Amino acid sequence: MSEQDHEAFEMRSRALFHDSVEGLDMRIRSRLTQARSAALEAAQHRQPWWSGWKVWTPAAGVTAAVILGVVLWIGSPLGHQGGTLADAQTSFEDLDLVASSDEGATDAMDMLQDDIDFYSFADKATPGPAA
Amino acid sequence: MARFDTLNTAWTVWDNPAPAPEGAVLEYTRELEKFLAEIERRAFRMAQVALRDPDDALDVVQDAMLKLTRNYAARPSAEWRPLFYRILENGIRDMQRRRTVRKRVMTWLPGPKEDPDNEAQDPLENVADSAPTIPERLMQAQAMQHLEESLRALPARQREAFMLRNFEGMDVAETASAMACSEGSVKTHYSRAVHALRAQLGEVW
Repeated sequence: MSEQDHEAFEMRSRALFHDSVEGLDMRIRSRLTQARSAALEAAQHRQPWWSGWKVWTPAAGVTAAVILGVVLWIGSPLGHQGGTLADAQTSFEDLDLVASSDEGATDAMDMLQDDIDFYSFADKATPGPAA
Repeated sequence: MARFDTLNTAWTVWDNPAPAPEGAVLEYTRELEKFLAEIERRAFRMAQVALRDPDDALDVVQDAMLKLTRNYAARPSAEWRPLFYRILENGIRDMQRRRTVRKRVMTWLPGPKEDPDNEAQDPLENVADSAPTIPERLMQAQAMQHLEESLRALPARQREAFMLRNFEGMDVAETASAMACSEGSVKTHYSRAVHALRAQLGEVW
């Protein structure tokens, strides 16, 4: 196929296409005019960028997600983390008192020894079951 | 009132929340109208070649016009044509996909009942009333019909390249922009399209 044949083919197909465009019936032409008018009307009444749903929908979604997250966080045990910390601090102080190697610990050991003596005494003083 | 040197400056200002000056809006609305009026019939025929159905083609063209004016009118007017055809081709592809899905669904559903009133209807009544009476016109119409059928048989990208380059008269760079591909790809698609069409139409043309 030569280059000239190619060009002739292109020219013929182009001419046929343009003939078919010119031969469009009135119904189609009228509907195209209506479509154009509608598009231009839409362009003239274009909304400002901040009024479109495409802007507000993601923003509303993010806000809803944040609110839901806060609600869930407050409702969960983690939401009471402040109180738990205070409790933990008190327990820690108690443990510190008991476990410290100061006099508190010596007192505790003395109290434990007293208890053992008392229980030993009580055991001896109690009469055994009748044989 | 501020003066606008170009339509694009006017659009940029119109993008701001402040209302655009009336004169600027009118000016580029006129420019857009001129562009759409110049392009709409060819766009319709191209969509019709791809989709066959005139109503579907009209829907796709209308949608492309709306999208262009709503989303891309702020672009320089030199970019409108490739943008418009890119939107149009996307619309055609979407329509073809929808049809394929519809066809698959319809094969599983029972067909519509035969309407006895429609049985007597002459199918020629649905043909456009602008039928040529001169034999030469008739031959041209037949040749165009063969061309359309051959174009429909082409891969979508080849058809697109052929119609944009040959029917719309776009250069390679513009076609590449409309097809969102490289200029080399446009040349390849176009060359393959011409060879395939000539091979198919060689006997009847």
